[in-house]
This record gives sequence, C-alpha cells and structure tokens, in this order.
Amino acid sequence: MKNNLKISFIAFLLLVSTSGAFSQAKKPTIMVVPSDVWCNTNGYMNEFDNQGTKVKVPDYKRALQENADLLLVISKINEMMTERGFPLKNLESCMKTLTDQSAEDAMLTSKGGASVNESPIDKLKKVAKADIWMQMTWTVNTTGPKKSITFNLQGLDAYTDKQVAGASGTGAPSFTAELPVLLQEAVLAHIDNFNGQLQKHFDDLFANGREIILRIKTWDSWDGDLQKDFGGEELGSQIEKWVSSNTVAGRFSTSDATENMMLFEQVRIPLYDATNKAVDARGWAKGLQKHLKDTYQLDAKLMMKGLGQAQLVIGEK
Amino acid sequence: MRKIVNLSSLVLFMILGVSMSVSAQARKKADKDTENFRYEIEGVGVGTQGTYLIKVWSYSKKPNVAIEQAKKNAVHGVIFKGFTGKQGVPGQKALTSNPNLENEKADFFSDFFADNSKYMKFVSVSGDGSIAAEDRLKVGKEYKVGVVLSVNVDALRKDLEAAGVIKGLGSGF
Repeated sequence: MKNNLKISFIAFLLLVSTSGAFSQAKKPTIMVVPSDVWCNTNGYMNEFDNQGTKVKVPDYKRALQENADLLLVISKINEMMTERGFPLKNLESCMKTLTDQSAEDAMLTSKGGASVNESPIDKLKKVAKADIWMQMTWTVNTTGPKKSITFNLQGLDAYTDKQVAGASGTGAPSFTAELPVLLQEAVLAHIDNFNGQLQKHFDDLFANGREIILRIKTWDSWDGDLQKDFGGEELGSQIEKWVSSNTVAGRFSTSDATENMMLFEQVRIPLYDATNKAVDARGWAKGLQKHLKDTYQLDAKLMMKGLGQAQLVIGEK
Repeated sequence: MRKIVNLSSLVLFMILGVSMSVSAQARKKADKDTENFRYEIEGVGVGTQGTYLIKVWSYSKKPNVAIEQAKKNAVHGVIFKGFTGKQGVPGQKALTSNPNLENEKADFFSDFFADNSKYMKFVSVSGDGSIAAEDRLKVGKEYKVGVVLSVNVDALRKDLEAAGVIKGLGSGF
C-alpha cells in the first residue's frame, strides 16, 4: 500500500514537471501594412497641421477601400503565412474591430447608468497593434512596353525598431503580364526568403531570450530620484543590478540614464519564469516592480506595449 | 550446335551482367556525388504557388543516370543547399539552416533518398522532360546534364516538419 502511494506520488510529480516543460512561449502577432512610401506615392496620406509643421500620416482605411492590388497582395501574404502555420492579423479586420469597439464603448452603460472608464492614454492606445510589422512597398517599373515590379518586404519589430527579416528584388520584365499577376509572382518569389529570416529571428529568440525595451521614469509627485541612495547605492544602480541578474546571460544595454529616467535596450528576457510560465515584457517587469516595493518600499506604476515594451514610473501607482 | 548456343547465351549473360554492374556503379557514384553536393542548382523562374522551378546540373558517365539523379539532387539541394537566382528570379535558401542536419538525421535521410523512394513525391520533370542540346555537356570522361525540374517545396517542408526533421515557423509558440 505504502509502495503504491509512493509510485502514485512520483507519477504525479513527473506529470506536473512535464506539463510545465511543454508550456508554450508567447506567440508574437504579425500584421501586413503598406509602407509610408507606398501610401505617399499612391496618394493615401492624410495631412494635418501640427503647430505649424505639416505632418503626413498614412490613411490605411482609404487605401484598403480603394486599392484592389493592395488587398490582393495582403491577402496573398496572409494566405501563404497561414500555409506555413503562422496566421497573421489582418489590417482591414483590425481597423473594423477598432471602429466597432469604439462605437460599443461609447454606448456601453451599466444597469446603474455607469459608463466605461477610459483615460487619455487608453484612447491613444486604441490603434492597430502587432508585435512584428510586415511592411511592404512595391513600385511598377516601365521600360517601353515592358513592365516589372520592384518588391520590398520588411519585418520590423514593433518595440526594438529592428528589422528582423526582409526580402526584396525586381522581378523579370514582362510584355504581357498584368499588374496583379506580376504582384502575385513577386510575393511568391520573396516570401520564402522572408520566412527564412523570420525563422532565424525566432531561433535567436528561443536561444537568447526575447529582446525587449524597459523604460524607467519617475512621477513629479515623488520626492526622490534615481540618483538617491537606496541600500548603499543609487537607485539607478540597484535597478541595473536587478536587470543584470534577471536577463539571459546578463544581456542588456543602458542607453540613457539621468536622475529622472533610464532606458534599457536590447534587454534579453527569458521566455519562461521560474515556474515555467511563459512571460512577456510586462510579466518580467512585474518582478522589478515587486523588487522595488519589497526592498525599498517604492510604489511604481507598470505600463506595457505588446510583448516587448514595459515602462515603470516610480513614486506612486 | 548446342555448344555454340550455350556459349553465346553465356556471353550474352556476361555482357548483360557487366553492363548492369557498370550501371549500378554509375548510380552508386551518382549517389556519392549527391552526398558530396557535387551538383549545381540554379533558379529558372518563379514556380507556381508552393513550388520552385529549377535547373539541376548533375554529373555521370552515363547521361541517363545523370538525368535520373537530377531528381534526387533537386530535392537534396532544396533541403540542404539552396540555390542562386538570376536576373528577375531570386535565389532561395535551403530549408534547413542546420549544417549538420544530414548527419544528425542520417537514418531518416538514407530512407528518404533511397532509390525511387519518398523524395520522388516532391519532384517532377518540367515540360516533356527533353534535354536541350546545350544542357548535355561532355566534361572529360563524364557528362554534365542540366534538367529543369519543379520541386513541391510546400509539401516537402510540411513532410519534414511532420517528421520532426526541421522546425515549423510557429513551432515553440
């Protein structure tokens, strides 16, 4: 009887440990968008006056409503990525969801008449989001009766601003092929090389941890700063120490540090925490927030952007 | 008379045996060349969705062996070597980025590349399979033959992913 109990206990432990080991890393979202250059060339820009400076921003909605070629290219890329087992977020659907959600939020009331809380920051954050942007540009080259397409596909990390994948080139000139055919051919020709680089980026992520950005700021209501001594050292140094001991092989760079702010870039965080749970920038920065509270009794407000950007504002929540 | 018939049958069998053995040796040599990456691949055009249209240059003393070996070389090259492009046709990288994959999964690949085995599922000769005169070259004692083939890279990748030989784009997430 005692032996049976022992065996069941060991079996249970094994089950728990293996289920932890099979936990999955947080999957980045990818979305295809036309580049600013393409939008500008094709006249899909909104222009507004920002305190005397004219600013142009791409008008994705109008581009998607008016340009069938754009829709074809996005659809082809989405189709091929789904084929590779990595479905993408669709820009058009994303924008429709945002519009629907805004309308719903505006009308939403509780039985008691309360409406939904929304801060100015919440409003600012209501935009189409992805962890990796697949930005594409194409130009049609015409030489006499011959046409060819120059196609450029860039995979941009939304947080580190790094280009993590890319493929570009000019297709063979054709006398007869129509533009949609040339565009489809361009996607077919370049998508595998793009995915090859994306795969390398993911391999690097699994080997060396997720690369994130961490920003530390301070509230003006707080009477301290990052150069004030805590535990015999400046708070900034204490934070640096925590970051160093909680990154994969201590990999990070302190890009900026003043008494009011710090910027950590190329921070490589592990994909899983000590309990084998998948973590992102927010989950990881929560550890620092807890460390500041437990060790120095400092409150900090934690904000995040997707999987790869976290911001801690020290002083209060 | 009977003796002459017997003798000529024996000679015929011997000739047949020798020619079969020469052919088998040529095939063996061609397999060795494949393992040693002794073949060249170049992109010919953008294939239909999920395929690569390539020209594979293979070597053998017997042109027929080189033509047949081209199919094996095409699949081998797409998995391990990749190929260069030309004006208007981009080259493609190999399906694996692991330079030791061939040795690490030696058992899998010896079955996969056995004569007329699974690799045949992913390759087909483009057009009627005829070889242009300029694609059949005599180099020393050997022939260098260029064959245009279509490799179903999507199906090949899926098969290797399912067998756990290469990783899928979404694996680990």
